[in-house]
Amino acid sequence: MISAQDITFSYASRQADERPKAVLTDCSLNLGPSQALAVMGPTGAGKSTLSYVLAGLAPRHTGGTLLGSVAIAGHDLRDGPPAIGSVGVLFQDAATQLFNTTVEDEVAWGLEAMGLAPHEIGQRVEVSLAHFELTAVRQRAPWALSGGQQKRLALAALWTMRPGVLILDEPLGGLDPEGCAEVLAAVDTLREAGTTLLIMTLQPEMARQAGALALLADGHLSSAMPVTAWLEQEVALAESGLLLPTRLWPDLSPRVAVDHRDPAIEVQGLRFRYPGGTEVLHGIDLTIPRGQFVALVGRNGAGKSTLVRHLNGLLRPSSGAVSVMGRPLAGRAAGTVAGHVGFLFQRPEQQLFSATVRDEIAYGPARLGLSDVAARVDNVLARFGLENVADVPPALLGYGAQRTVTLAVLAALATPIVVLDEPTVGLDGRGLGQLLAWVAELREQGVTIVLVTHDLGLAARADRVITLDNGAITSDDTPAEAHGGSA
Amino acid sequence: MTVTFDTYVPGSSLLHRLDPRAKLWATLLSLMAVFLLPNVGAQLLFLAGIHLVLLASGVPWRTLWGLWRQMAILVILIMVLQPFLRPIGREVFSLGPLHLTTGGMLDAVRLALRALAIAFAVATLLYTTSQPALVSAMVRLGLPYTWGLTVSLALRFLPAIQDLFHTVRDAQAARGWIAEGSIFRRLQEHVPILVAVMIGTLRMSDQLTLALAARGLETSRRRTTWHALHMRRRDWAFALGITLAFCLFAWWQLRS
Repeated sequence: MISAQDITFSYASRQADERPKAVLTDCSLNLGPSQALAVMGPTGAGKSTLSYVLAGLAPRHTGGTLLGSVAIAGHDLRDGPPAIGSVGVLFQDAATQLFNTTVEDEVAWGLEAMGLAPHEIGQRVEVSLAHFELTAVRQRAPWALSGGQQKRLALAALWTMRPGVLILDEPLGGLDPEGCAEVLAAVDTLREAGTTLLIMTLQPEMARQAGALALLADGHLSSAMPVTAWLEQEVALAESGLLLPTRLWPDLSPRVAVDHRDPAIEVQGLRFRYPGGTEVLHGIDLTIPRGQFVALVGRNGAGKSTLVRHLNGLLRPSSGAVSVMGRPLAGRAAGTVAGHVGFLFQRPEQQLFSATVRDEIAYGPARLGLSDVAARVDNVLARFGLENVADVPPALLGYGAQRTVTLAVLAALATPIVVLDEPTVGLDGRGLGQLLAWVAELREQGVTIVLVTHDLGLAARADRVITLDNGAITSDDTPAEAHGGSA
Repeated sequence: MTVTFDTYVPGSSLLHRLDPRAKLWATLLSLMAVFLLPNVGAQLLFLAGIHLVLLASGVPWRTLWGLWRQMAILVILIMVLQPFLRPIGREVFSLGPLHLTTGGMLDAVRLALRALAIAFAVATLLYTTSQPALVSAMVRLGLPYTWGLTVSLALRFLPAIQDLFHTVRDAQAARGWIAEGSIFRRLQEHVPILVAVMIGTLRMSDQLTLALAARGLETSRRRTTWHALHMRRRDWAFALGITLAFCLFAWWQLRS
């Protein structure tokens, strides 16, 4: 169904005198009907580009040059785009491929493009909605769905066109454990239906489900091999920057005694509702002493992000009070709290805007009127190995390097409190290693850390794990190993 | 909070179920009728009628009140400025070149009511017709499909861009960004945010191009419509009725 021989692909270069850099080099791949293959590769290895090439979208809609041959279901892509509905591709960010006003119209759109008769469209829409368990939300707007539901909707909209080939780019990215389970189940049903599946992923569980695995590194694709053979070679996977086995994690235990008399954060009776909405937080009481590492866990929509946005004044309590480093936040602009609370947002790479990496890092310290801006920036550039890209616009960097810049931006502020909202999403082993090494440094400096995460293994490394459910704290525990200090 | 540009109030009233083409025609006729309304009394009657129809169709008071509030600024502007632009009739008060007259005030009231009548006539269509239905009606009336698609994509992505704006602003506030001082200063402070939003918007539109191509926008030979529009007897009767009513009213107004 997919047959690719020696494909080499490069995007057009930005400057005329620059030679275009090959993203993929001599990649070959053969997959028959109802075969599944996981392609694993670190960030920037070319996974998304490979999926665009095989779907016939690149170079047709992206520019660039393609050498070699690709055939989908016997159709050579050099002769034109694949026939409508013959190949489907699930994008890494599924939300960007949904563009209709309701869930059912989203599923119907491709069928309308195929020119099917209305009664057949109706039947197929019903079947797809039921298949991917979306019938209950059929009238909702796609962008009002949860992350897991959006992925399932994008899959439903592709599957309903009955493509022989489905290409999935990071199908588990950014999902909570529940959403992951939903998508894994959906992928299972696709396999049973006889679809050829090509899955780009960083997640071992996704690869395990596919059964076969090829490794993509620096644009070179290895031949396919059984999954178990590779996953046993943890060391090789760690060396290629793909995974970071937990036994290679740095020590995150406390180095500085937690000072229980002097809280870093105090939250009292916090209730919050969005204007015109229902209440999201129902009376939160929370005291975090200085130097503590707190993990905040809970399902999507439990109110975790809403709670931490109160810690630097981005949101204001409907009732109750928040104090940071002994000072109430009421009446202070969020910008004035930035000196106390550093905040890493979800999708941090979207928030880069400066002309150079150096300017990007200097922005925060300069806004806060710190005296040693230049020295701080130089220190941080060296610490994160960004000196050679210091004068490059961050928007032009690769995804992995952009994530590094977002950590550097935070490190330059050197705040006594750091809030990390889902920092591990989309990180490969190398990126995770970098993040954890920095967190270990923060622990040495006695920085108070609030971590929002779905990664229970990471949460277990904190001094304290707080579970939020439906806007209230349901448990507040200290993991066994953190009892009695650095165990 | 996200402002949605979808004003549709879901429901199953007669007005909701009518063919959107019939409703488009009725809206066109009522807009013409608005300009033929002879006096303040008729205008008030027209507005009251629309309110009754909307309430009977299940559009809640809160939605109607929201439209009144949105129109308030325009109405106040008309009431304050218009009397001085057309000083006719008996003078009540005068200050230098400004003359407040009874005729001028009546004129302002008429103009304000006309603006309200137009707003509510258009809102009747938008409250009871979903966007896809409206787009497919326009396509059926001869608009190319890509134009209709462009309209719905714009309506879909304006809120997405607005969300992006809020995300970026929050991220920068967390890095010490505060907008204060004069308006000019505050506009300047927004530049970095707009840069990040622009980069994000370009990325979104790139992805959208791929998403549309991946589902066969260009390879589609002949598009069909799932909910094909059918003018049923009820729709024809409605269109005919409203046309007759309009003709009668226009004849009665214009005969003298």
